[in-house]
Amino acid sequence: MWQQLLAIVIILFFLVKLWLEKRRRLINRQEFLFWLVFWLTALVLIILLKPLDYVAGQLGFSASGIQALLYLAVAILTYFIFRIRLRLTKIEQDISRLVEYLAIKKK
Amino acid sequence: MTVFCVIPAYNEEAAVGRVVREILPLTDKVVVVDDGSTDRTAEAARTAGAVTLRHVLNRGQGAALRTGTDYCLTAAKVDDLIVHFDADGQMRAEDLPAVLAPLREGRADICFGSRFLREGNQLPPVKKHLIMPLARLFVRLLGIKTTDPQSGFRAMTARLARELVWSDGRVHCSEILLQAHQAERRLVEAPIIVNYFRFGTNTRQGFGIIKDLFIGKLIN
Repeated sequence: MWQQLLAIVIILFFLVKLWLEKRRRLINRQEFLFWLVFWLTALVLIILLKPLDYVAGQLGFSASGIQALLYLAVAILTYFIFRIRLRLTKIEQDISRLVEYLAIKKK
Repeated sequence: MTVFCVIPAYNEEAAVGRVVREILPLTDKVVVVDDGSTDRTAEAARTAGAVTLRHVLNRGQGAALRTGTDYCLTAAKVDDLIVHFDADGQMRAEDLPAVLAPLREGRADICFGSRFLREGNQLPPVKKHLIMPLARLFVRLLGIKTTDPQSGFRAMTARLARELVWSDGRVHCSEILLQAHQAERRLVEAPIIVNYFRFGTNTRQGFGIIKDLFIGKLIN
């Protein structure tokens, strides 16, 4: 119960932070919507932790719903890291193209 | 048939001048790409007679090679030749005629200098017995038979150079080899000698090359 409340407070904190970032125009609409859906889903899953135990059992997990959530979180985080890595590589390529363009243009 | 030589250089003020002076009589134009050096590499290369391009940021050997190659391609005709050479003085300019010969004779589209076709190369043991066999096995699995899959000394036609796309770091050796093979270009090797006073690509960088190849495949 206390863990649930703590998780809800943390999620609300991130939702407020997200809203502030949107208001200060630090993130675009697409990014805002993505994270909004992400945190709201997390909030719903935390609130529905008891029914989730049942779902986890039906899916064949021997552990409780919260542990199934942890597995899911690890999978999602791994995917994000992979995406960030690809994005970083793309940015690196773009920087190189720019540096190359400047080198030839200055000649 | 014009021969362009591209030399990427990073903090090589001590060696690049001599390298340019040695290679210049054997080619028509030498282009040194100073890859964001903090020393006087660009000045040394210019004084020695090279055309000098400068990266405002250090982007890696592959990026510098690409800049130099693209610069040459703005002036090159399809049958002109582009040579890739190192700035640290480990490669020997006297091996260049042997690397250029198959292209001049129309027998190949790209010629790689190989350190395994003649005696005299004193490769560091880890490189000789671990990195090279692994690299050879890797390209062999992709259907390429070569004695030196990590050679940075090569010559190619401008026509082929226009078709190639390679990454910023040291992975260019494998990428150029693979792309030339996939495009069914005529690949040959010529014997060269490299005087080692630096290690070059170490084991960690070797695995980094495989990682870069994998990420490059995912992105492109």
